[in-house]
Amino acid sequence: MKALILPLLLLSSLATAQTWQTPRLPWGDPDLQGTWTTATITALERMDGLGESLVMSEELVRKLEQREAGFSAQIDNIAEGDLPAGQVVGGYNTAWLDPGTRFLRVKGEPRSSIIVDPENGKVPYTITGWANFWWGIIKTQKRNNPEEQLLGDRCVVGFGSTGGPPMLPVLYNSNYQFVQTPGQVIILVEMNHAVRTIRIDAQPLPEQIRPWLGDSIGHWEGDTLVVETSQFHPQQSMRGAIKHQLYMGLNSKVTERFTRIGDHEIHYEFTVEDDKIYRQPWRGELTFLPSKGQIYEYACHEGNYGMTGILAGEREQGVNGIRWVFDLIVNPPEEITHEQLGPQRFSRKP
Amino acid sequence: MQRYLLGLLLTATLFPASYQAWAHHAFSAEFDAKKPVTLRGNVTKVEWINPHAWIHLAVVHDDGHTTDWMVEGGTPNTLLRAGVNKNTLPIGSEIVVRGYQSKDLTCKPACKANGRDIVFSDGRKVFMGSSGTGAPKDGLDPRGR
Repeated sequence: MKALILPLLLLSSLATAQTWQTPRLPWGDPDLQGTWTTATITALERMDGLGESLVMSEELVRKLEQREAGFSAQIDNIAEGDLPAGQVVGGYNTAWLDPGTRFLRVKGEPRSSIIVDPENGKVPYTITGWANFWWGIIKTQKRNNPEEQLLGDRCVVGFGSTGGPPMLPVLYNSNYQFVQTPGQVIILVEMNHAVRTIRIDAQPLPEQIRPWLGDSIGHWEGDTLVVETSQFHPQQSMRGAIKHQLYMGLNSKVTERFTRIGDHEIHYEFTVEDDKIYRQPWRGELTFLPSKGQIYEYACHEGNYGMTGILAGEREQGVNGIRWVFDLIVNPPEEITHEQLGPQRFSRKP
Repeated sequence: MQRYLLGLLLTATLFPASYQAWAHHAFSAEFDAKKPVTLRGNVTKVEWINPHAWIHLAVVHDDGHTTDWMVEGGTPNTLLRAGVNKNTLPIGSEIVVRGYQSKDLTCKPACKANGRDIVFSDGRKVFMGSSGTGAPKDGLDPRGR
């Protein structure tokens, strides 16, 4: 039976490929408009336990997606009675989150990391880049004032690199709305309601101007939107987030390529270059799929009680200063225990 | 090799604990994992605001006095997509919340905790998370269509 179905599937996908044409806007540009999501359980870097290969077998995908669902069920069904003290049982029930339940598929192919180059699926930090990454994480553990917190906690831009570029998923609200005009492509990033304005065939801003999410200039290469971004904001280097955290240089350059490859799919590629921070240019791929429902306003400032909670908690708990170093060692938060910060990135050849 | 050794040294010094994929970034900054709380009371107010919804409840103690609590939930955007809206949790409902108290113990304007698990007093879940079958929350699972 299988032998029959497979050729049929291939034939039907061939037929679709032949008849499908890139939708266009009245002025001729390819149409990327719509609301899209990148939510996926695949991380930026290849995590331990996913093997060596970028492309995963269907069998492994099935097994790991089931395992993930099992983890979620465990988290949501902790036995009755008080929660355990001092044990990490997940701060939040999964009802609160929306990180996706599936591995990333790029043109149908299941992937073990967003990074495709280097082959080991790790950001190829130089020692300088890696040290900056560590310091970026550690210094946000001081809770003295709002300016020391991650940009997401401060409601400035979203966690991690959700607004990017490169635009990477986070734990929830990994949704985007694309709107086009003849001279601009606008991307509304749900997390944190940030707007990227990509100016087509335009001049870069004067070099002293460093907007949040950088300065993006685009052009069309056939049906592909190519976007080059530089002049990042000095406070946006540390992109802290669970699973997709990243350190970018002030002068890093990002090149993104958006290609609509179906009614329900945008193929997204990016390259990041910065010879101080990375040993080589590195590349990643993602797929934008239709998001469920519209984009909602994420007016993070309207009720950011978390910030007062963090600062008040710090003052309640003791003296600032060396205490935070001590606390980091005896009770390291997960940002620091995350395997992305471990040395394994240097143990394999890129 | 030098890089590897440096990394190893840092690793061994700084992180004995394991990674837990589901906790939130700022959980440990805001809440105290050593102070689990179980709260039973009636909902007095729900703030459907960003970045997190906050559910207020009046907890009645054995001697009759009440304490106001407010517990942190998820982001309204995510809740709405999951089918949760302001009718889901009517004012006055009796709920049981399990979570961890905030590090800030001043209890002003109310004592705070994260609302990790919230159920109605009859045991029904207020917000459904994973069903254990890979809850189709990203719209990609055909079972969710």
